[in-house]
Amino acid sequence: MKISRHWLDQYVATGLSDEDLAETLTMGGLEVDAAEQAGPSLEGVVVGRVEQVRPHPNADRLVLCDVRLGNGSDTGETAQIACGAPNVAEGQRVPVAPAGTELMLPDGDDGERAPVTIETTDLRGERSEGMICSAHELGVGEDASGIMVLASDAPVGWPLADHLAERGAAPSDTVFNIDLTPNRPDAASHIGVARDLAALTDAELEWPEVVSPEEGGETAEAVSVQIEDAEACPRYAAMLVRSVENTESPAWLKARLTAVGLQPRNAVVDVANFVMHECGQPLHTFDFSKIRGEKITVRTAGETTPLTTLDGTRREAPPGTLLVCDAERPVALAGVMGGANSEVTAATTDVLIESAYFAPRAIRRAAKALDLSTDASYRFERGVNRNGQVWAAARAAALIAEITAGEVVPGLVDEQPQGPPELRTVTLRPARVNDVLGTDLSPSEMGSLLTSVGMKVSGDRPDEPGETTFSYVIPPFRPDITREEDLIEEVARLHGYDRIPAPAHVPLPARPPREDPARRLRRRLRHRLAGMGLREIQTNSMLPIEQARQFLAPENGEGAPNDDVAQTLNPISEAMAALRPRLLPGALAAMRFNRNRGQAGLRLFEFGHVFRRTDRPGPTISGEASRVMPLRCYAEREALLMALAGPVRPGGWGTDAREADFYDAKGLVGHVLAFLRVEDATMDPFGTGADPNFAYGLRLAGPGGAPLGIVGKVSEGDARSFDLEGEVFAAELRWEALAEAAAPVRGRRYEPPRRFPAVERDLAVVVAQNVPAGALRRTIEQAGASLLAGARLFDVYAGEGVGDGCKSLAFALRFQADRTLEDAEVDAVVERIVSSLEEKHDATLRG
Amino acid sequence: MEAETIENEDELETFRVEYLGRKRGKVGALFDRIPELDPEERPAFGKAVNALKEDAQAKLDAARERLQQEKRAAGPDLDLTLPGRPPMPAGSLHPLRETLGEVSGIFERFGFSVAEGPEIEDDWHNFGALNFPPDHPARDMQDTFFLKKHGYKKHEDAPTGDDSPQQRSSENQDVVLRTHTSPMQIRVMETDEPPFRVVVPGRVYRNEALSYKSYCLFYQVEGLYVDEGVSMGHLKQTLSLFARSFFGEAVETRFRPSYFPFTEPSAEMDIWWDAGAGMGGQWMEILGCGMVHPHVLESADVDPERYTGYAFGMGIDRVTMLRHDVTDIRTLYENDVRFLRQF
Repeated sequence: MKISRHWLDQYVATGLSDEDLAETLTMGGLEVDAAEQAGPSLEGVVVGRVEQVRPHPNADRLVLCDVRLGNGSDTGETAQIACGAPNVAEGQRVPVAPAGTELMLPDGDDGERAPVTIETTDLRGERSEGMICSAHELGVGEDASGIMVLASDAPVGWPLADHLAERGAAPSDTVFNIDLTPNRPDAASHIGVARDLAALTDAELEWPEVVSPEEGGETAEAVSVQIEDAEACPRYAAMLVRSVENTESPAWLKARLTAVGLQPRNAVVDVANFVMHECGQPLHTFDFSKIRGEKITVRTAGETTPLTTLDGTRREAPPGTLLVCDAERPVALAGVMGGANSEVTAATTDVLIESAYFAPRAIRRAAKALDLSTDASYRFERGVNRNGQVWAAARAAALIAEITAGEVVPGLVDEQPQGPPELRTVTLRPARVNDVLGTDLSPSEMGSLLTSVGMKVSGDRPDEPGETTFSYVIPPFRPDITREEDLIEEVARLHGYDRIPAPAHVPLPARPPREDPARRLRRRLRHRLAGMGLREIQTNSMLPIEQARQFLAPENGEGAPNDDVAQTLNPISEAMAALRPRLLPGALAAMRFNRNRGQAGLRLFEFGHVFRRTDRPGPTISGEASRVMPLRCYAEREALLMALAGPVRPGGWGTDAREADFYDAKGLVGHVLAFLRVEDATMDPFGTGADPNFAYGLRLAGPGGAPLGIVGKVSEGDARSFDLEGEVFAAELRWEALAEAAAPVRGRRYEPPRRFPAVERDLAVVVAQNVPAGALRRTIEQAGASLLAGARLFDVYAGEGVGDGCKSLAFALRFQADRTLEDAEVDAVVERIVSSLEEKHDATLRG
Repeated sequence: MEAETIENEDELETFRVEYLGRKRGKVGALFDRIPELDPEERPAFGKAVNALKEDAQAKLDAARERLQQEKRAAGPDLDLTLPGRPPMPAGSLHPLRETLGEVSGIFERFGFSVAEGPEIEDDWHNFGALNFPPDHPARDMQDTFFLKKHGYKKHEDAPTGDDSPQQRSSENQDVVLRTHTSPMQIRVMETDEPPFRVVVPGRVYRNEALSYKSYCLFYQVEGLYVDEGVSMGHLKQTLSLFARSFFGEAVETRFRPSYFPFTEPSAEMDIWWDAGAGMGGQWMEILGCGMVHPHVLESADVDPERYTGYAFGMGIDRVTMLRHDVTDIRTLYENDVRFLRQF
């Protein structure tokens, strides 16, 4: 919202500099976003005295002036300036732009201005060292007939701007852009801001004089108002001004409106806008000759109602929209915008002024439904002064009459079906104020702060010994103040937040701080993953619906026909209409981004939430208070994604570059499981078709069978859909389940290392190619029973020396017990292992 | 017999051959002359020659030792300037998550617990319980993404925003992507007993046009402290301490009035940010805060007469950008390795 400094100064004289004023408002709760200069810049223009005028030797229409620009002394600096104005005379004080000054001079007849730098020139053989300016040239007035003649005591040498400011005629203005919070409709006007400013600086607030008309009279005979929906429109006041000459507005009015960013139109409309920005009450003016039946009805639309509004747009007001109608048809969308059918034009002679109170909720709904926000709807939505209608109407009527030589029709229509509202009273306990703020203010200090913004004490009563409470009557322009906290905030902001003392000690509540163990684990794992050469990424949770569906995998490996991706109803764009069901697409997109920028080897990870719409929600994100998703139709959980592609490490002088393969991904997952101490996790292989995004891989499950996630090769189709050449390997793990399965280190009990030496034996067996190493290993572990302390696969070989279709697997076996093992015992176990392998896998010992 | 000048293996060998060489060595030649001597002179001469031999050997050894030391000092036979073999290629942590962790960490050291919550929320927790009345302009402060409500019928999901207390558990209320992490204030208070002292880090969503300064999502840390006797003075002190921990001891803070539906009085905390290099300084908005509104406490069945508290919320992206000189928020979500590797 824009506030003009000059305009503001009409109501409160603070004497503050622009900067201090902005600071005062900001610290008082009206945040000044920016302060801009408006109006002509008079920088460099000074007051000069014409010392001597003599004819130009070579030009009849020019004279040469010696103009003194120095301050005070007779020997001050003088400049010779050629001038063509008819009114120049010796002894005058005039505005002078010395050489070097930049002026915005009128350029042609269209009123446009362009920057011109005044230079020392040679005018027909005579030097001219500047320019004596007209009011029009300076942009401070309309007069272009001659130079501007200043007061005879204007101080020579002063900046013109300072001189004009001292006379209260400063042409340039400062416009403050205030970022108004929704709770402060009272400050959506110059008087509103002035009221706060007066309170904050202890200055006097001056209101314009307005004579309020009596209800009824001639006006009530000329027009009738009927309110059908008194809840949406509790009050509707109307006044008439006749015989107006609706010309252009005077310069002062135009200047006010342009300062706050409005385009001047005609006097009547301009006055309505002026009064709204003056006091915050939106007004609407109708051409009374176009109001059929001399009757206004305010009603709610029962059906969709078309109306062409003042901006020339044909709109469809949906049922429920509040309408202002004449005897036959709607003439305005109440509180939002008037209709073109009753518009005030230059030809208008009789004006009907509408000054109503429309209920915030009704206007907000209408503005939302129409997708139309106006200066009026902005104010009505937030709540205008409940009692400000008559003042505003009378103010506007008087101004219109004054400017357009119109005639205010005596009297007033003031429909208020439920009568005037009762002013709200709010109780304040001074002790509570100090408790909440941590201050030590006396009740009288609080009282003077509150009365400074219009609150009135209606009485105090001793409640109990030692405690007094005060009742404050809340002024009708503060709809935001409904309970004690609102008054406490007023006290705080008017007293000044910076004056609330910060205590030397802050208390520590008597309860231990808690942290979800999953969070701690995640923090450590992130550092571990970065240490293992992965880069953490942060991808958008939103993606196109079709792409999201491409990554919607059956949860828990089972089909769920009703599952779908979660979609937003109002996406920013089609490209962001769904929520990610997996983190994988984000990582693939990040890979594409980097591949396009020349990065071949990529190792990425991300922690993030994934979503689905389902009728069978599972447990959701970690956090004590939200173990279960509160919304029945959505499932949300946290995932950990790791993805590898391209060279796992750059080749070096001692290392070969190698492309990432499945075992890199599997090894990473194994490391994560080991880091988290997830024991007894199972990994079940799957092939193409088992998962929509993986060509093959392993499904991970915890000890109880709880799914932990998946690791594998990303299907070619998915990789290609992200323009990724080559293989991509990824693991997408379910973080809550993993954290749940993790064995906390702090709960771990120490096992002393075994004192007896281990016996090691190598065992190489030949099996058919299709026998999985995992199965052999399980057989070895079963057969090895309690003496087997470890079995490490150290070689896989196929080729010469091993039969066709066969491979050799070599295991290093380690045996250990709480005693020294005899060779014979170990031999017996190895024997048992070998025969198990022969029996179950058709294995033969490699000789 | 000069050994101090020996500079390399060759000279060492020359010295050895010259004095101690078996065939033509000078010392050997002296031994060879022993038989020519008078037998009485032999012992003394032999002794002297032996001493000479030992001396030559000692000088030779010393020279060899010296050469070896010189060689060791010069380095081994490895090219020590070849690059080392890194145990792993370089990885990195995302600056957003690092800042998020750092901010939460500071409050954890102040005795705050940490809770996280769902990103899909219901209207009650995201708005209603936080004192955003339906049809209130305060809702315009946060452009919201709506999701389909319960049930699978199409076209029945126009956002409404009905959040009367009766509606709070209703399945018919709006479903939204949380616009702030504040809903966790309510969830924490609903499931626990006061005092509450918790921070909530997490991802939040706003339906805003993408530009260099706004993205459709960002990170936030929300804080809540509710106990008996908590005042705005405590809020100022705690948040100033936070600012000094995070931005440095010398940072200047100021609190100015603002408006959030769920706090009253509400404030913004600004810090004085010096852009450096003569760029001048300005007040920068860092976080919003205030005393928890009694409506919010009432929504969670906490007695506002007995308990007071403060809450605050800060955007993590903004301070991350500020401290790392990132000027376009989208950089944070592009995942350019050339960006990531700098952290």
